[in-house]
Amino acid sequence: MNFLAISINHHTAPVEVREALHLNQDEIKNYIDDLKNNLFTEGFILSTCNRTELYGIPAKPEINYIDLEKYLIDKKPSIEIKDEQFQKFFSCSALNHLFRVSAGIDSLLLGDNQILGQVKESFQIAEEKYFVGFLLKRVFDAAAIVGKRAKNETQISDGAITVSYAAVQLIEKIFSNLSKKTALVIGAGETGEIAAKHLRDKGIGRLVITNRTYEKAEKVAEAVNARILPFSHFKENLHDFDIIISATSSNEIILNKEDIKVMMKKRGYAATVLMDIAVPRDIDPAGRDIDNVFYHDIDSLNIIVEQNLKKRKEELPKVEKIIREELVNFFSWYNSLEIAPTIKSLRDYFEEIRADEVQKMINKFSGEDREKVDIVTKRIINKLLHQPTIELKKAAETGIETPESITKIGLIRNLFGIDAKKEN
Amino acid sequence: MQNTIHYSNIILPFLYLLTVGVYLYDFIKGEKKLAHSKRLFLFLTLIFHTFYIIIRTIEFDHPPITNVFEIFTILACAIGFSYFILELVTDIRGTGFFIIVIALLFQVLSSIFIRDLTEVKDVLRSNLLGVHVFHALLGYAGITISAVYGFLYLTLYKEIKTNKFGLIFDRLPNLEILERLSFSSAVIGFIALSIATTIGLIWLPQAFPDFSYTDPKLIVTFIVWLMYGVGIILKTTGQWRGKKVVVLSIAGFLLAIFSTIVTNFISRSFHSFY
Repeated sequence: MNFLAISINHHTAPVEVREALHLNQDEIKNYIDDLKNNLFTEGFILSTCNRTELYGIPAKPEINYIDLEKYLIDKKPSIEIKDEQFQKFFSCSALNHLFRVSAGIDSLLLGDNQILGQVKESFQIAEEKYFVGFLLKRVFDAAAIVGKRAKNETQISDGAITVSYAAVQLIEKIFSNLSKKTALVIGAGETGEIAAKHLRDKGIGRLVITNRTYEKAEKVAEAVNARILPFSHFKENLHDFDIIISATSSNEIILNKEDIKVMMKKRGYAATVLMDIAVPRDIDPAGRDIDNVFYHDIDSLNIIVEQNLKKRKEELPKVEKIIREELVNFFSWYNSLEIAPTIKSLRDYFEEIRADEVQKMINKFSGEDREKVDIVTKRIINKLLHQPTIELKKAAETGIETPESITKIGLIRNLFGIDAKKEN
Repeated sequence: MQNTIHYSNIILPFLYLLTVGVYLYDFIKGEKKLAHSKRLFLFLTLIFHTFYIIIRTIEFDHPPITNVFEIFTILACAIGFSYFILELVTDIRGTGFFIIVIALLFQVLSSIFIRDLTEVKDVLRSNLLGVHVFHALLGYAGITISAVYGFLYLTLYKEIKTNKFGLIFDRLPNLEILERLSFSSAVIGFIALSIATTIGLIWLPQAFPDFSYTDPKLIVTFIVWLMYGVGIILKTTGQWRGKKVVVLSIAGFLLAIFSTIVTNFISRSFHSFY
């Protein structure tokens, strides 16, 4: 199969290169216009923060990855991209790579389940630009099946593998309905903002931000639709919160055991989560000794992350098995696209229908007419199949690797349900 | 018919064992494909158990409530059914093993020690006794389930506090749900036990002319009842929550079991029927 792919990703290139090569939707559309005219007959571009990849069917047999590399390098003359930073794939290996990407096992975060959506999006853009033909449609369908099977049949995407998600996972093991809970995020830096976003995404009931610099708190509060609590008063109001996440850059402990004791007394010892994700720590770890206080710091969250990562790694063989199965499925379909078997299957299909129908009516004809009925119906079938057979043979002359041939063969097999019949 | 009863009595613990095995396997593996089929195992076991109780009642001319090992089989069935309904209503999974294993324990004890009693004391052939036992069993099923959820709460509580994120952390529902399940089961158990105790107190003077209000069974029952009552009031008014409430529920359950064992096997009480 004449299917080509190149990739620059987190395995091969530093973040500066990946950043420089990251393409937004408009850029992808422009690139597709270039590729369409020069390099590919059909294809698509996948670009995320960790990878930029070109997939496609070469317009001419002599086009190879060197042309694709050159195209990308010429497009971004300002950055230095080395040859070894490109991964190159052809035919089966290109498909295998796409399947691995779709299943999330090639991602920086193993088992990342957002990548399948990004693959779908890339494909949709290519479709909008009429850059997707019969073969690529089938390639995409197969990739989507791999992604879905990996998600549903394995635990490759289970459990949090980032510290901020681990914090949310832990909170969800303590409280059942976050929409009825209140949370305070202390610190409006990057970590605090991410934590606040996760809580908002999980539907936290009330979200409050406090920070030494009021303006910074204001900015984050606006981004996550939270209220602001002045830093000077936050200790007096601690008892109002079920979840307290601290992520300041303070070098001192800002909540000591006594503060926590007072807070717990005021809230009648209702369960409280204290999540200290600051380094150095903001909350006195001795607070964990108090009943119904669930204190966790970055180390305990890292335990969850490492355990989940280990579990995901153990799922890799299952995902790889799914990929192998879908590669076999894809190539058995692809290999069925040969001319002679298609003509034979098509003729067999028509002949089967003809013979069945003749058999049903045969008793209504006299002995001598039966032979005539047989001859006439065969002649009709031959005439009906004459033109399609000629078209298929023409396709054979141009070679089955061309998109036109593949489309013709695939359409015929599809329209007459030849593959479906075979599977049954 | 007696042969069928005897075979069923042997088969039942194995059915419970199989169901417990399926629930345990699902708990350890956490595979999605077993999520529904394990419920079918429990359902079939409970249907078979009901059939066993019915044929036993017909053959021996009394419901199996006249001694502790007859009651154990009904208790096993009551715990199983209560959990089955709980799983259907709440769709909370991952806790089945811990509850059905208790039903298995009661059924094993019953299957080993149960006798074919055809002669039953007249005092035990009373309609009031039937109502009393029904509510007592419902109550015991309730407090057993409450204690199991309480135990699971404490285990998960400890795991989270000590940063141990193993199977318990992965599979169990969250602490708030466990606390709620423990409390709701305790409330149902408490109401049923209140009815059972009230009926018992009405029936006792009629059935046993020489009975005394200082009987150990009555005293311990009153203490257990009081513990649950106080716990429910403290939790409802928000004075106690979390760990304290579940510890009280577990203590109440242990005391109730202890009182049953003592009054039936060791001390001389009107409640010794074996």
